[in-house]
Amino acid sequence: MTPIFRKFISIPHFIIGIFLILAGSCSRIDHKQSALDPKGLVSQNQYDVFMLSVWITIFLFCAVGGCLLYVLWRYRAKTAEEAKEVPPQSHGNSMVETGLIIASSIILVILAVPTLQGIVLLNRVPDANDTESLEKLGLDRSQIDGAITVNVTGKRFFWVFEYPQFGIVTANELVFPASKAVRINLRTEDVIHSFWVPKLAGKMDLMPGQENFMWFIADQSKIIGDADAATAMPSVHDGEMRAKVFAKQKFTDEFEPVGGLFYGQCAEYCGNSHAYMSFRALAQTDEDFDKWVKRFQNAQNPNLATKSYDPQSSYEKGSLVSFADPKLGSGSNREYRSIRQIAPGQSPQLNPGAWEKAHSDDYEIGKQLFASLQCVQCHAVNRTGLGAKGPNLTLYGLRTSLAAGWMRNDEESLSKWLKNSNDIKYGNLMWNGEGVDDRHPLRNLENDDEKVDQLIAYLLGQS
Amino acid sequence: MSDASAHALEHHEPVTSTGIPNKKVLMWAFLGSDCMFFGTLISTHLIYRKISATVGGNFLDIRDVFDIELTSFSTFILLASSLFMALAVSAIHKGNLKSTRWMLLGTIVFGAIFLACQVYEFTHFVHAPGNELTLSTYRGEPHVFGSTFYVLTGTHGTHVAIGVFWLLGWLAYSFTGKMSTAHALDVEICGLYWHFVDIVWIIIFPVVYLMEYAL
Amino acid sequence: MATESIKYLSPDTENKAKTQVFPRPGQHTTGLIDWLTTIDHKKIGLMYGLTALFFLIVGGIEALLIRSQLWDHNMTVLTNREYNQMFTMHGTTMVFLVIMPLSAAFFNFVMPLQIGARDVAFPRMNTLSLWCFIVGGLVLNLSWFFTGGSPAIGWFGYAPLTDTRFAEVIGDMGPDFWIFSLQILGVASLLASFNFITTIINMRAPGMTMMRLPVFTWMTLIVSFLIILAFPAITIALVELMFDRTYGTNFFDFLEGGKPHLWQHLFWIFGHPEVYILILPAMGIVSEVIPVFSRKPLFGYGLIVFSGAIIGFMGFAVWSHHMFTTGMGVVATSAFAMLTMLIAIPTGVKIFNWIGTMWGGRIRFDTPMLFALGFITMFMIGGFTGIMHSSVPIDAQHQDSYFVVAHFHYVLIGGALFGLYCGFYFWLPKMSGRLMNEKLGKFVFTLMFIGFNLTFFPMHYLGMIGQPRRTHTYNEGHGFEMWNQAATIGAFILGVGIVIGIYQFVNSFFNKKLKPAGKNPWDARTLEWTLSSPVKEYNFSRTPIIKARDQAWENNYGSKENHSEKEPLDDHGVHMPDRSWWPLVTALGLFGLCLGMLFHRNIDPSGELVRNYTVAIAGGAVMVFGIIMWALEGPGGYHLFPKEEEE
Repeated sequence: MTPIFRKFISIPHFIIGIFLILAGSCSRIDHKQSALDPKGLVSQNQYDVFMLSVWITIFLFCAVGGCLLYVLWRYRAKTAEEAKEVPPQSHGNSMVETGLIIASSIILVILAVPTLQGIVLLNRVPDANDTESLEKLGLDRSQIDGAITVNVTGKRFFWVFEYPQFGIVTANELVFPASKAVRINLRTEDVIHSFWVPKLAGKMDLMPGQENFMWFIADQSKIIGDADAATAMPSVHDGEMRAKVFAKQKFTDEFEPVGGLFYGQCAEYCGNSHAYMSFRALAQTDEDFDKWVKRFQNAQNPNLATKSYDPQSSYEKGSLVSFADPKLGSGSNREYRSIRQIAPGQSPQLNPGAWEKAHSDDYEIGKQLFASLQCVQCHAVNRTGLGAKGPNLTLYGLRTSLAAGWMRNDEESLSKWLKNSNDIKYGNLMWNGEGVDDRHPLRNLENDDEKVDQLIAYLLGQS
Repeated sequence: MSDASAHALEHHEPVTSTGIPNKKVLMWAFLGSDCMFFGTLISTHLIYRKISATVGGNFLDIRDVFDIELTSFSTFILLASSLFMALAVSAIHKGNLKSTRWMLLGTIVFGAIFLACQVYEFTHFVHAPGNELTLSTYRGEPHVFGSTFYVLTGTHGTHVAIGVFWLLGWLAYSFTGKMSTAHALDVEICGLYWHFVDIVWIIIFPVVYLMEYAL
Repeated sequence: MATESIKYLSPDTENKAKTQVFPRPGQHTTGLIDWLTTIDHKKIGLMYGLTALFFLIVGGIEALLIRSQLWDHNMTVLTNREYNQMFTMHGTTMVFLVIMPLSAAFFNFVMPLQIGARDVAFPRMNTLSLWCFIVGGLVLNLSWFFTGGSPAIGWFGYAPLTDTRFAEVIGDMGPDFWIFSLQILGVASLLASFNFITTIINMRAPGMTMMRLPVFTWMTLIVSFLIILAFPAITIALVELMFDRTYGTNFFDFLEGGKPHLWQHLFWIFGHPEVYILILPAMGIVSEVIPVFSRKPLFGYGLIVFSGAIIGFMGFAVWSHHMFTTGMGVVATSAFAMLTMLIAIPTGVKIFNWIGTMWGGRIRFDTPMLFALGFITMFMIGGFTGIMHSSVPIDAQHQDSYFVVAHFHYVLIGGALFGLYCGFYFWLPKMSGRLMNEKLGKFVFTLMFIGFNLTFFPMHYLGMIGQPRRTHTYNEGHGFEMWNQAATIGAFILGVGIVIGIYQFVNSFFNKKLKPAGKNPWDARTLEWTLSSPVKEYNFSRTPIIKARDQAWENNYGSKENHSEKEPLDDHGVHMPDRSWWPLVTALGLFGLCLGMLFHRNIDPSGELVRNYTVAIAGGAVMVFGIIMWALEGPGGYHLFPKEEEE
């Protein structure tokens, strides 16, 4: 009997020991989606309550478990004779029982108070006029007043981010100012999804037929540390973020996170490719965010579409015009950029020294393919395309990721994706949606490297 | 022989800890459970009545569909059938086989009338010109009222139908010549079920029908 | 059997026996027919247990496939749809086909013995419950072979993913199979529960007052009440879903006026009591085992019973804590958070009282005790993480992450399954009449304990660093790999432990070399240990008259006035009922009805939907026929005259 008792005693010790050693060996907790590395006000609150509950339960576990171990040791039957003894048959002690009930109630109250505070915090953006609570939260009035709103729509299996204040729409990468509160309105057009960026806030479900709300505000000081804000948070609008993200991918001991890059994930089972429904949130300085918004607004502004060349006009240096280029096929236009001041009547064909092709041939062919292969049916790019069915691809070349945050947005992945997206993301609507069958041109790109390259040139050229 | 039959009875209805026969406890437990069934259905109906109160932008006035006179009549009939049921139970306790038969028959007939009313009501609603209420639409537009209404009242109707068949079984058995006061308990349990189904209708009728007229 | 016996016929059935084409199988039925027609609660319990252990292996294989797929990032052991089917089937199987029926097996076998009854109140209904359970399990697993394969909707089947509008395979039948199998399993659970409630309320031996009931019997009663009050919610939800899928109603179709939110409420009004339906039986078992191996009565019996009832009652008031992230608003969220914290108190009370029971005892560490101690510690961890989840801000991060997976596996494996294994090691000698190998038992415990913790403890950490639930794979670069590999290794160790355990249980029925158990091998306390092992088919030769709470212990160690007595034996002996075919026929009719409903829709060549109810009606007719024949069968039976020492 005794050796087995020793064995039992040692198992929990052994396991706890192992876990302590292993937990020590992976002391890094700033994983890409780690809730243990909060970078926002709401997530910090959630983390604080969590740690409180961890300490409470560790205390309880040690107290109750220690008591249990003591009892097991103290009252073990040491010999076969002792195992046959009849101890006093006591039936209970109401004083002890009542005491324990009261004690456990008190412990629960310790957790209940921050819980109630946390519920209010995560459901309501603090009132900008309530200076007292703003102070308590360490917020500045301008952070609330300047809050941006994002309407998030979940679809199988990607995200639409609409900025009603700025009139722009993007997909899968949520760009936001690090210093401002972000109000998130959540809707879905099909099944239930859940919006979760662990480092910024908890999650909230996207319920069909109902609009849910959550909000977060990043803590800029936690993102950048002592560094300069502009360099620590690479800017999105000029592609710096993309370059920085490409330089680092894997989570290793040498992993150094890109400032302002947050990983998010759909957290409610939504169908075959639920696992692939991730997204990213990119924090920006106010200045970079404004620039990004401006670029987006320009890109999506129908009044700023490139006009045909007008022989009566003169053009500033760097102006864009569209002009027929028979090389691309009859009736096709190409964009030209002026390299100097242009006087009236100097069309790109008459004066090749004054104009240059704005894009490569591949880009221009890719642009045509994008229409002729029916991509525009579902995807909007800048001003073109009808589509709300698929992700909006405006300024696609600035994106860090492809396929709802799943792959790195480079030529290699994009080529794989275009050739057979079903292989990568089984059940996605681009491959399986309404009206897509084996005759659809998209399903026949597999062996057509040339077309794929041209499409890639066009898509990644959107920057 | 009399000894043997005494034993038989003893085995049939053993002495229980509470003194209540096992079958009765079983039926009460079932009815408790059945309360939850109807509770779930009725709450589904009420919740949807509140949150899906419009159709095509207009308030859904279900009075255009309902035929409250007919439903009141069938409600009365169902209530009356409970009286027959109670009389049948009392008759079999007294060993009055003839009266039991008549009372059972009365319950069955009234139950059947109720069912007929419901069948008429359903077909009438589905085909009401201009006001068609089907399982999934109202006036040709998708709506949830038909879903909750038909499934709730249909479930109740199924209960009534089961009750009618059960009573028919007893009526048929009464002609085999084996029916005696020994079966009083079984008929009584059948009666418990019948009264319960009746009570459920007393809740459904105001909640589903009358409330529409109180608005 | 050395007992004398005479054929017994009640006057009612005397004539019928001659005319019946299909006589009720009598006393001397043996072999397969005996098992198919038995109405003996002990045999039904064994069949329940054996079938559930089979499904435990099925569900375990599904779990191991899941774990293999998660070994590394972007693995391709399973496709994403297969993975989603696996976790759906794993969850449904483990909840409805393993833990619940294993509990039912113990309810069936142990409870009548503990209250001094010869059988449950309605033995044939008990048989019907068994066959319904088997039919339900069959229907669920038949789904693998038809359009779309098994359901890929999660065990919770959240609308609107279950709507045909969002089916990812055209004509997907998986959810239909899921709906029908859960309905049949619901029938099985309800029938069993009505039966147990009646039995416990009405068939206690003289002197067995409610406050003398063994705790396990109390938990049986509470769980039965939970089942009859909670199952209607999911039954109606499933009926509504079936109408949505089959007849186009709009209950959960948000595009046509329905609310997917409603499904969640109905599901969790059932689903949360279901959690207690799964755990309370294990608590009951542990509350029996700890006093036995401490040689002391249960500390605070009244409080343990009362807290069990409170847990059951409050279980109906906390369902929305599964829905904290669905946007219910501040008030509802706060209320449910507070109620959920409150429910921790009665649960804590139980743990205190188990420790109090051991205090001052003479503790022996036999296998059942090891599992009971494993239960307490593991359930404690699961309970603590449960308290964390009651706090909404924490839940906002944990919900649908691996932290939750860790939490409920600590409750359901570390809690329920350890408790049930504890029950097997404790009561199997009573069922088989043989003692199992202690060393092997301890080895099983060690494997299970280590494997279990290695699998599920790292999942807390995985959840915290952001691994979401129900995802068939994860991307590289998140740092999830190492701990997933630990979990997978642990899962295989756990699997080996469970399988050796099952081998040991089955083996104890066939291996004649094992030591005979005798009446009371553990020196245990409750009434079933006054009977021989294995228990004779009539349980008690004479009904005992109960004088105290722990009657077996009092008979051995108590004062004279607490010794139980026995009712005198009637001159007609013990009346045993005959076996019956009709429960099996009824269940088969139900099976046909379900298959008929599942396959009643066809698309004819012109593309029209054709509904053909022939099979369904035929199945229904068989079912009704079974019920009618059942009603007309009459009592039948025979008498046994056991000698005193043959109890």
